[in-house]
Amino acid sequence: MSNGLTHAEWSAALRDGRLLGLHCEDCGTTQGTPKAACPDCSSRNLETVELSTEGVVYTETTVNVPPEGIEERGYRVGVVEVGDARILGRLAGDGFAIGDEVALSGYVEDEEGYAAPLFEAA
Amino acid sequence: MARAAAVGAGMTKFGVHDTPLQELFGEAAFGALDDAGVGPDDIEALYFGNAMSGQAENDTHLGPKVASHVGMAGVPVQRFEDACATSANAFKNAVAAVEAGIHDVVLVGGVERCTPETGKDTAAMTRVFASASHRQYEQPAGLTFPGVFALLTKRHMHEYGTTEEQLAHVAVKNHGHGALNPRAHFGKETTVEEALEAPVVADPFRLMDCCPFSDGASAVVVAGDELADSYDAPVDVTGVGHATDVVPIADKETPHVTRAARDAADEAYEQAGVSADDVDFAEVHDCFTGAEILASEALGLVEDGEGGPAAAAGWTARDGDVPINPSGGLKAKGHPIGATGTAQIVELTEQLRGEAGERQLPDPQRAVAHNLGGDAATTVVSVMEARR
Repeated sequence: MSNGLTHAEWSAALRDGRLLGLHCEDCGTTQGTPKAACPDCSSRNLETVELSTEGVVYTETTVNVPPEGIEERGYRVGVVEVGDARILGRLAGDGFAIGDEVALSGYVEDEEGYAAPLFEAA
Repeated sequence: MARAAAVGAGMTKFGVHDTPLQELFGEAAFGALDDAGVGPDDIEALYFGNAMSGQAENDTHLGPKVASHVGMAGVPVQRFEDACATSANAFKNAVAAVEAGIHDVVLVGGVERCTPETGKDTAAMTRVFASASHRQYEQPAGLTFPGVFALLTKRHMHEYGTTEEQLAHVAVKNHGHGALNPRAHFGKETTVEEALEAPVVADPFRLMDCCPFSDGASAVVVAGDELADSYDAPVDVTGVGHATDVVPIADKETPHVTRAARDAADEAYEQAGVSADDVDFAEVHDCFTGAEILASEALGLVEDGEGGPAAAAGWTARDGDVPINPSGGLKAKGHPIGATGTAQIVELTEQLRGEAGERQLPDPQRAVAHNLGGDAATTVVSVMEARR
């Protein structure tokens, strides 16, 4: 019944190399993940928009103590500014700093098959 | 007029406990009841917090289980889960219930086991904790809770020049405070040098920037404002604010601002008719050193961007202008998730009564507790005052 962006559609687009977000037609806010209403103004008048796959690192960290299910240590997780929205994902490689330019390079998958964006230096 | 009063307080030592949840909770509950001078049959309802024992210990429907253990089976028990803000949310609802006259006297508290006594090792418990981050838009990237607060703190460092050494000062301060607290998980002081040499968990956080996995319980007896006069040592609850923010982190307007904490603090201060300048000390949610710096700014105790320099200058130490975490905080006292919120209320109660022993601050009259959950998307701020 939802006429908004679903997780399934968002994930399918990510696996296809695209980032989808939501633009609020009432207040103008853009979000990087699906929601049923605008978190800023509560409007349900949300339009699915294609986000840029290039952006800059807003913040990042290197995780050395992973949760069960991840064997790798020292992987990077960052929040990337893509146009008017932000999205959290993995950063491939080392030496990232806030403000660095990155581009979507693929995705990583957890044990349940959920996908997260993977970015690399642009 | 107060919204309600804490008339009894109790907690276990925080640390490692080879003890079932109901027995841990029982120790805290009877501590609070004995302190108030009441029995289980005087308590009309239990407001109970437990965040994740379903995942950690395969133990759910804990409300009637813990009530049965302490002779309260029959009373209504409401169980709260709000990640690390679990029992502060229970406290908020307990205060509202006695204020509204739904009950006269209630018990509020929480219990949690997070150490390997649960059978879960560090990796397994790290995964349980990570369940509080967004399932679809954060967990698949491998985000952990040190990682969550690292993301917020790194941006704060970028905006304001906050340094790793300033973070280390928070750890040193709280370990120093915890060394005076017989119920603290860690009773040992540390140094800035030692903190800066510890292994990195999620940069900028090293091991000494992170609170431990702890087991423990805490409980408080809450009574209505007028009734509280009939108890020996009531401490007034004059404001409780509670707010949420957007999840996931990437969709928050400015993540390091911790909007929910600011909204909750505004609400709590307004109820109490006070401002941040009137606060004598604070217990804040220092799950990581960076979180204490963000909290000190969100509560208005220091200016935005000054949290790091204030900690390094000793301004927030027990002999500073506004002591933060005289109990040792989550960092040194420990962090048994569902017990943390009401343990802060226990510390406020004891300090405002002048009964905090070796760690007693000089005559505090008003204090604030700040308990956050998840990526700070839930925050409860409580103002308490010595009864005149």
